[in-house]
Parts: sequence; C-alpha cells; structure tokens
Amino acid sequence: MLFHSIFFYFFSIIAIFSALMVITSRSTVNSVFFLILDFISIGCLFIMVGAEFLGIIILIVYVGAVAVLFLFVVMMLNVAQQKQSWFIGKKSSHIPFGLVVSVIIFLELLVVLGGWKYKENVMSSSNLLLNESISNTHQIGRVMYTDYILYFQISGIILLLSMIGAIVLTYQKRDNIKKQSYINQISREKLTSIELKKVEFEKGVKIDD
Amino acid sequence: MEYAVLFLPLLGSILGYFGKSLGNFFSEIATSFFVTASAILSIVIFYNGITAGSYGNFKIFEWISSGNFVANWSIKIDPLSSIMLVVVTLVSSIVHIYSIGYMSHDPHKPRFMSYLSLFTFSMLALVVSDNFLQLFFGWEGVGLCSYLLIGFWYKRNSANNAAIKAFIVNRVGDFGLAVGIFLIFYHLGTINYDEVFSLIPTLVNKEINFLGFEYNLITIICLSLFIGAMGKSAQFLLHTWLPDAMEGPTPVSALIHAATMVTAGVFLVVRSSPIFEYSSVALNVVAVIGMITAIFAASVALVQNDIKRIIAYSTCSQLGYMFFAVGVGAYHVAMFHLFTHAFFKALLFLGSGSVIHAFKDDQDIRNMGGVWKQLPYTWVLMLIGTLALTGFPLLSGFYSKDAIIEFAFLKHTFMGNSVAIVGIITAFLTSIYSWRLIFKTFHGKYMNKKIPIKETHESPLIMLVPLIFLAFGAIFSGYLFKELFIGENSESFWLNSIFFIEMTSHDNIPLWFLALTPLLVIISIPVSYFLFVKDKKILDGFKERYKTFYNFLLNKWYVDEFYEIILVNPIKKIGYIFWKKGDEGTIDRFGPNGISKIIKLISDKAVQFQSGYIYDYAFIMLIGLSALITYLIIY
Amino acid sequence: MIDIGLGHYLTLGAIIFSLGVIGIFLNRKNIIVILMSVELILLAVNINLISFSIFSGDILGQIFTMLILTIAAAEAAIGLAIIVVFYRNKGSIRVEDIHEMKG
Repeated sequence: MLFHSIFFYFFSIIAIFSALMVITSRSTVNSVFFLILDFISIGCLFIMVGAEFLGIIILIVYVGAVAVLFLFVVMMLNVAQQKQSWFIGKKSSHIPFGLVVSVIIFLELLVVLGGWKYKENVMSSSNLLLNESISNTHQIGRVMYTDYILYFQISGIILLLSMIGAIVLTYQKRDNIKKQSYINQISREKLTSIELKKVEFEKGVKIDD
Repeated sequence: MEYAVLFLPLLGSILGYFGKSLGNFFSEIATSFFVTASAILSIVIFYNGITAGSYGNFKIFEWISSGNFVANWSIKIDPLSSIMLVVVTLVSSIVHIYSIGYMSHDPHKPRFMSYLSLFTFSMLALVVSDNFLQLFFGWEGVGLCSYLLIGFWYKRNSANNAAIKAFIVNRVGDFGLAVGIFLIFYHLGTINYDEVFSLIPTLVNKEINFLGFEYNLITIICLSLFIGAMGKSAQFLLHTWLPDAMEGPTPVSALIHAATMVTAGVFLVVRSSPIFEYSSVALNVVAVIGMITAIFAASVALVQNDIKRIIAYSTCSQLGYMFFAVGVGAYHVAMFHLFTHAFFKALLFLGSGSVIHAFKDDQDIRNMGGVWKQLPYTWVLMLIGTLALTGFPLLSGFYSKDAIIEFAFLKHTFMGNSVAIVGIITAFLTSIYSWRLIFKTFHGKYMNKKIPIKETHESPLIMLVPLIFLAFGAIFSGYLFKELFIGENSESFWLNSIFFIEMTSHDNIPLWFLALTPLLVIISIPVSYFLFVKDKKILDGFKERYKTFYNFLLNKWYVDEFYEIILVNPIKKIGYIFWKKGDEGTIDRFGPNGISKIIKLISDKAVQFQSGYIYDYAFIMLIGLSALITYLIIY
Repeated sequence: MIDIGLGHYLTLGAIIFSLGVIGIFLNRKNIIVILMSVELILLAVNINLISFSIFSGDILGQIFTMLILTIAAAEAAIGLAIIVVFYRNKGSIRVEDIHEMKG
C-alpha cells in the first residue's frame, strides 16, 4: 500500500505540475513538451492502477500521434518565435475573476463527486466483471468485439472522416506544378493528337503552339 | 334658407381650396358664386325681417352640454344680426369679385379665394350666434383668417411679421373677452344671450373681490368684454396691428379691415348692450377710449405717406366714432354708422387698390399726382368715397356721423358734450387728410420717376363694376336707411335686440350746432387744396419748425416703440429663458436627449460583451455553467 | 492520506479538468494552447472513467475511455488543420488578432 500511495502521489504531482506548466509556460514548444510529460505520467498512472492496455494506448496514441502532430504544427507555423507573457493588454483585469470562477468549478466538482453515494460492485453482468485471472487486454477484447462492435466501427469511421476532413481543409492546388492526369492520357483521340503536314523541300515545318 | 346663408361660404371655401386641381378659374367662380348667393339670401332675410318681422332662433345642433353649461350651434336672426349679415355678405361678395381681377397675376389664387370665403364663414358664425361661445368661435376664426390673409404673401418677411403681430395683439384682446365670458358664466350659470340678458338685473349691485379691491361685477364684465373689442377693432392701446396689416393684398384690407372684422368689436358691445347699460363706468371708459382713438388716428393719418396706411388710420378713427357713440348710449346710431362706413370704406380701399394697380404696386403718395385724366373712373369713385367719408351733406356719411354728434350733444352731460366736441374736431381732421389723399394722388404734378404718365392705365372692368355697387351704397344708404335705423320709430325696428334703459329723445337741436360740422367739412376742401396743391411751402415750413411734433405724428405717437421697450423685449427674454433653460435644458435633457444618451451608454457597455475573442465567449459560457451547477447544488 | 481511494483519483481528475478550463480563457498567446487545454480536459475525463472502472469492477469504463481517446485524436487533427488553413489566410494565430466576430 505504501508504494501504491507513493507512486500515486509521485505521478499525480507530476501530472498536475505539468498541466499547470502547459498553460503558463512562455513558449509554445515548452507547452507541448509539458503536455507530453502530462500524458506520460497519466499513462503510467493508468498502468499502475491496473488498466494497462489503456495506459499503453495513451502512450502510443496521445504521445506518439497527437502530441507529435501538435509539435509539427507548432514548428510549421513559427509560433515558437513568439514569446509573450500572460498579462499583456488591458484586459488582464479579468484574470482574478476567471481564477475565482475556475476554483468554484473545481469545488463544485468535488462536491458532486465526493457527495455522491455510489454502490460498490454496481454491475452484476458477467461480461463486465473485472476478472483478475485474465489480462486486461483480453478482457477489453472480449467485450468490445462482441457487444460494442457498433461503437468500435463508428469510431473507425470517425477517424476516417477526420482524416478526409484534414486533407480537404489543407489541400492546396498548385498551379505551376506539372502533374500527370492519366484520364487525359487515356482519353486522347487520334483526330486531336496527330496532324499530317506536307513538308516542302529545304523549308522545314513550323509548329505553332 | 338661414342655414344656407351660414354654410354656403364654408362650402365655397372648401371647394375653392381643393378645387385648385380643377383650375384656378373654377375655384374663383365657385367661391364668388357661393358668397354672392349667400349675400342675396341675406338681403331676402333682411327684407323679410323688416316687412314680416320673421325673426327667430334656428338651432343647428347641440354643441356642448355638460351640467349647467349648455351651448348650441344656432342661427339667431334678429334685427341686429340681419343687418350684419347683409353688410358682411354684400361686402364680401363684392371683394370676391374684385379680387378675381386684382389677383389675376398671382399664382396662389385658389388659396386666397378660399381664405376669403373661410373668413366670411367665421364672421357669419360670429354674427348669428346666440351664445357667447359661438361668438368666441367666430371671433377666433376671423382672427385666424386675418392672420392667414395678412401673411398671404408668405415669402415676404414683413408680411409674416405683420401677420404674427396682428394675431398676437388680437390675442391680448381675446384674453379679455374670455375673462368676461368666464365671469358671466360663473355668476349667471349660462352663456346664452337671452338667458344672460334676462338675468343681468339680478347682478346689478354685486361686487367682487379682485386683488384685494372691491369692484362692481358688471363693470368688470363690461370692461373685459371691451378689452376684447379693443383688440379686434384696433382701439387706442391695441391698435398697433392695423397699419402693419396693410401688408396683405388690398382686397384683404377692404374686407377685413374696413367692413367686417374690425366691426366685430362694435358688434360685440352693441350685442351686449343689456349688460353695458347697467354700468355707467364702463360706458364712460368706452367713450373715452373711443375719443382718444379718433383723435389719435386722425392726427397720425395727416402725415402718413402710404395710401393704404392713411385709409387704415381713417378706419381706426371711424371705429373710434362708433365706440364713443356706444359710450353715450346711442347704440343704434353706432350700428347705422357701421352700416354706412362699410360701404364707403370698402370703396376707398378697393379704389386705392385700383390706383396701386395703375402705379404698378407702388403705394407711396409722394410718387403719385396729376393722374385724374388717366384714371377717370377710379377718380370719380374715390371722390364719392371721400365725400361720403368726410360727411359731405346729403351723402351717407353725413347722416351717420352727424347723428352721432347730435346724440352726444343731446345727452347734456359732461361726457356727452366732450364727445361732441371731439367728434367735430375729428371730422375736420378727417376731411383734411382725406382731401390730402385725393389731391396728392390725383392732382398736382406727376411725381413718379419710374413710370411715364402714359403707362398708368385704368383697371379692368371686373374691378370697376363692384366698385360701382359700393358707390351706390355709399351715396344712398344713408338717406334710404336713416328712418329705419335712427328715426322716430326705429324702436319698432330694433325691437329688443338692443337695449336702452332710457332712450335719448330726439329733441330740438340748435341750428348753429347742426350746421357747424357740414360747414367745417365744406371749408376744408379749399383749405386742403391750397395747402397740398397750390402752395406747398407753408407745409414745408411747418415741418421744419415743428420737426419734433411732425416726427411724433409720423411715428404714430411712438406707441410701437414704447411697446417694444416695455413689453416685447422683456417677454422675448423670458421666452428665450424658457426655451433654453426650460425646454432644452430640462425637458430635452431628461427626455429625448437623456434617453438617447442612456441608451448609447448601455449599448456601449453591452458591446463589450461581443469582443470577438473566443476565449471571452468561452469564459462567459463557463460562468453560465458554474452558475447553473451552483444553482443545482444548492437547491 | 496514505490509503488511496476512489476520491483521490477523482480529485486528481477534477484538478486537471479545472486546469484545462482555465487554460481556455486565460491564455493570451495563441490558439494552439487552447487546443492543448481541450486535450487536458479530455484526459481528465479519461482519468475519471478509468478510476470508476477499476473501483467498481466494470470494464465498460475502459471501453468508453478508448472511444473518447479516438474522438480526441480526431478532433485534434481537424482542429490543427483548421489552424493551419487559418494561418495561411491571416498570417497570424495570435489570439488578439482573431476577432472577426467583434460586434
């Protein structure tokens, strides 16, 4: 138990600290790095708790894909050069107020979650019982591909959609690039592509483009 | 038929105004036709009244009935009102026909004709009313039409100012009239003539408390009514509008300021004779004011240089005559003078319109002279008018004017004698300035620098024929109607439309007295000829030696300047203060301006909500969310 | 304090959630930080779900977490694509410069 709590506090303090640094760090690249640290610590926390499949998935997907994507965009858009502080401008007067409101939200969350009376062992469905003998991945697989196959497929389609959407949004047609359009190549006709010309002696032929 | 008399001019006015889409000619003909029809009908009514005695009260409808206060729209035909009907409609129809010719160059003819008819309608409503309220309606109506007509050429600044001046000075008088009517209603509970007149004897010795002093009630009522009459008839203190009213076209001056509107004051006093008879103080005041007016106007008319102003002052002076006739209790003589005066004064005005027309709208008599051969008809007509005005023997003015002086003398009181003396002096002055007008305009040397004498031409026939009618009236009306109005049996004519406590008996008058006035009048002709045509040096010498006196007369006794300093400027200042501080400073500041400022302030603050920044919007969403959750948690 | 129970995990989730929410509107730098704050929020939700799943023995929480993971990744991709296009048109992604909806 002791280790449990030590590890918990360790990871959770790192997570909170890095979340704080995400929103308050001066340079954007630093923010992205702190976000990555946050993801890693939470992933470790998940592994520690017993949901190791999801912990690893978080490390792979969030850190390996989403955060890298963020980094790409940050690098591409040159925002790394812009260093600014939080309190610029005349509108910083609402920061204390904003902090107060956020604290209120936090407290409310605590009140709601802390005062909630929930039953231990709420579900009795055998599907959903967390069994110690099977590995976590096996358990997830058991349920996801049988009862919740629909949601699985839908999430796949959503990913497809987002990929198409991203490509469509950022696609730029370039006018000065020569590209091969095979359709045009295939649909050439003899009449429009060949022309017989009578060439006179020693005169040559002029091709007008 | 009585309804027709009253409403035909109104119909004509409406048709005339809206008929301009049908053409100017249509509106002219329509208005003139209706008013002439009204004139013929009123002559018929008058005739019926004399021969068959068919007088009566025709109720149209009940206007106000609230508690004790009952006022009807009605047409009361009795001797007094039937005379006024004839005078008003006859002169009005003649003026309508005349203005078809006079205003032929004017682009706004329909408006003019319709205003003239509207004026006629208001005057008729005033005259045939049987209660003070309808009289007040007609009173205000003629005031309004006078404003509209004086300022007819509204693009001229002087015309606008004159119209406003006329309206405001009239308003002062109207205030007095309104106070009088209020007092009558308060103490007697009714405003119908018949009931009021029968109840007046009950109030004879009643006194009311005003500002701490006790006054006789009837005197106060009479004085208030007389203030109204002063305003309308341009008596001494409220006369300032009349000369400036000459800014209007000449037909307007003829109709309003010679024959009808200014006589409304006299009509009011005569109609209220039952009330006036009970207060000798009021009658004396009336007589004194009348005398002052007569002398004042005559003296000023001696030195004026504008044709129309001379005739205007002459009107003022003749009204003074009528009022001091009333003041000595000779109401019937005053009405007789009103009747004859309407004819010759309208003739004079319209004739001067002819002269002005001939001189291409120049009104200064110093620029005229010696055109009696060029404008023969006008000359003859003006001569007739002047002879009648001055009271030349056998013409109409002679009968009426001399009757006033005789009746005054017959009273044998101090007031009566002084009235008679003033009347004689004024008659002399009247003839001097009237002959001055004729001689300077038609005789002597031709003084106009701009127009050669050959170009002054006579007026068209449409302008002359009405004048011939008026000339007939001026010559014969005195002789023909003398017996009826003021003769021995005139009581049978007037019946009880005029009230006398005791009739003045027509005693014997010493012959020297009778002959005095006509003699003076006849002598003044060669005198003025001498002074104004033959030898003008005497007059120039007069002007030089008595320069201050001359200026005093020329500037109308400086009354206008006096009013300007005492009344107009302070009131302007007060009005300015009310405007700036009161209206703009308070009402506008808290009202429209204040509200719009507040709205702008609020909207400026509200705009900050939509800053365009996403995080602001997210922030607000967050605040809303937390509020909702708080609410759900707490409750 | 030593004994870690459900409440501690939930508290951790709540803290990270609030930090994410603060990050949305208290940042003055650029839009990417907003997207990162959204990721933080989703992460906090994941923590909550996993902790409930473990402590009540129900595998459903973890499945749901995976779905949320999917959605978060998709949304990050699209959001970044939008930012790229926006930067192409406007030339800047500083928060102060994006106020087209100012009224």
